Amino acid sequence: QKPPPPARGRPGRSAQTPPTRRKVEGPGTPWGPDGAGAGGRPRRRRSQKQLEVKVAELVQFLLIKDQKKMPVKRTELLRHVVGDYKDVFPDLLRLAAQRLEYVFGYRLVELEPKSSTYVLVNTLEPVEEDAEVRGDQGTPGAGLLMIVLGLIFMRGHTIKETEVWDFLRRLGVHPTKRHSVFGDPKKLITEDFVRQRYLEYRRLPHTDPVDYELQWGPRTNLETTKMKVLKFVAKIHNQDPKDWPVQYCEALADEAARARPQPGVPAPSS
Amino acid sequence: VPSSMQCGTRRMGVMTDVHRRFLQLLMTHGVLEEQAVKRLQKHCYKVHDCNATVEKLEDFINNINSVLESLCIEVKKGVTEDDGRPIYALVNLATTSVSKMASDFAENELDLFRKALELIIDSESGFASSTNILNLVDQLKGKKMRKKEAEQVLQKFVQNKWLIEKEGEFTLHSRAILEMEQYIRATYPDSVKMCNICHSLLIQGQSCETCGIRMHLPCVAKYFRSSSEPRCPHCNDCWPHEIPEIFNPEKEREAGTSSSNKKSLRSRQH
Repeated sequence: QKPPPPARGRPGRSAQTPPTRRKVEGPGTPWGPDGAGAGGRPRRRRSQKQLEVKVAELVQFLLIKDQKKMPVKRTELLRHVVGDYKDVFPDLLRLAAQRLEYVFGYRLVELEPKSSTYVLVNTLEPVEEDAEVRGDQGTPGAGLLMIVLGLIFMRGHTIKETEVWDFLRRLGVHPTKRHSVFGDPKKLITEDFVRQRYLEYRRLPHTDPVDYELQWGPRTNLETTKMKVLKFVAKIHNQDPKDWPVQYCEALADEAARARPQPGVPAPSS
Repeated sequence: VPSSMQCGTRRMGVMTDVHRRFLQLLMTHGVLEEQAVKRLQKHCYKVHDCNATVEKLEDFINNINSVLESLCIEVKKGVTEDDGRPIYALVNLATTSVSKMASDFAENELDLFRKALELIIDSESGFASSTNILNLVDQLKGKKMRKKEAEQVLQKFVQNKWLIEKEGEFTLHSRAILEMEQYIRATYPDSVKMCNICHSLLIQGQSCETCGIRMHLPCVAKYFRSSSEPRCPHCNDCWPHEIPEIFNPEKEREAGTSSSNKKSLRSRQH
């Protein structure tokens, strides 16, 4: 009835006592509830259990950072979580990614090729009714972000900051005034969304007074598509996406490109 | 799914998108009352698998926990200390919950929480007055904090469901108790109080004036349910307190409207 337990580690020898038993100094987790048990017993280096705990810590760390939508750098993972396990880091990260996707439905993605910066992308489509059962603090900024992304896309990928505020002011969102939902809108758009990598924010040269431009950041293309943003804009205007033929064609091309297998990216191994 | 990560001894449950969405949304809340958890579960079935029969909540959670076990995470059930409402929270078992808070709060803010926690644990009633907490702001580690700021930080702890405020006094939120029980017991072994009935951590409750044992309010209510002359379970002296009324799912259903029970948890925090 029960399937045989999967083979783990090296088969065979487990019943035998190892001839030499090296004393292992456990990494010691002073606060962890099971720290004493795990560190106290002499074991062979890096037991399956120890590796599992490291994977669990990676998963928890990435989940906590994701709650704040903060991208995570490889160096942060190494410093705060991996510690002495650097040599097996790629394996640990691969296992953590598998757990995150299987258990929570989040895909671990490198923000840009070779950036060594990671974010979690939700594999589940958001549905409208989620909002009802969601915590009310949820993500109040998400709507504002979509508006800004829409503005950028409709203006041809770049927009001046002053133009963004000209538009938002009409919706009652002012750069210098505290907003009841978004708090400090200027900070949210030009600092938080930029740090989270949804937006790029650059100073325009030779402008007086100084102005900045905004573009989509690398994370935006991972979490949404041109078509979704266009549909959002169309819905706000109560119009059809096809009413903007240039943007619509571009969004269609983007969809087609996404459907093609991407060159250079190895197919996911199961 | 990597077979190497599976526990050989215990059969792991199977995750579907229903479970994944459930976990994602539970994470955005931190803690939820049982009825809200049931609503959430139904919602997730509706989105992904509307023809399936909704699994019994207990089995549904057990299944999820069997998968979460290797990640040292658990969907933990508890009851509120004051009126015994069943609640659920997603808790970390490996890293300390103070480290979970560390991503949300600055060093001086965390130290303020520790100070409040100490006052709450040392107090007879399980409550610490805001005046007493604010008197300690000069001793905080990290950046200097003014009283006005400290007041706002305390409100942030309330919003994030780590503390509850009642008439200017603070106590631990049940979510914090679920997450931190191990840590609190290990850190304050001499001042921590335990319940004589359920033997778990007690912050607020009733105590015997003769022998000093303590009991949670819901435990008192259950223990003395059918006794006309309540006596201390330890020294058999008369129990000198009023027997509290606690959450009763039957009664709640009669009173019936969903809005009333949604409000109750929140209103008690103000």
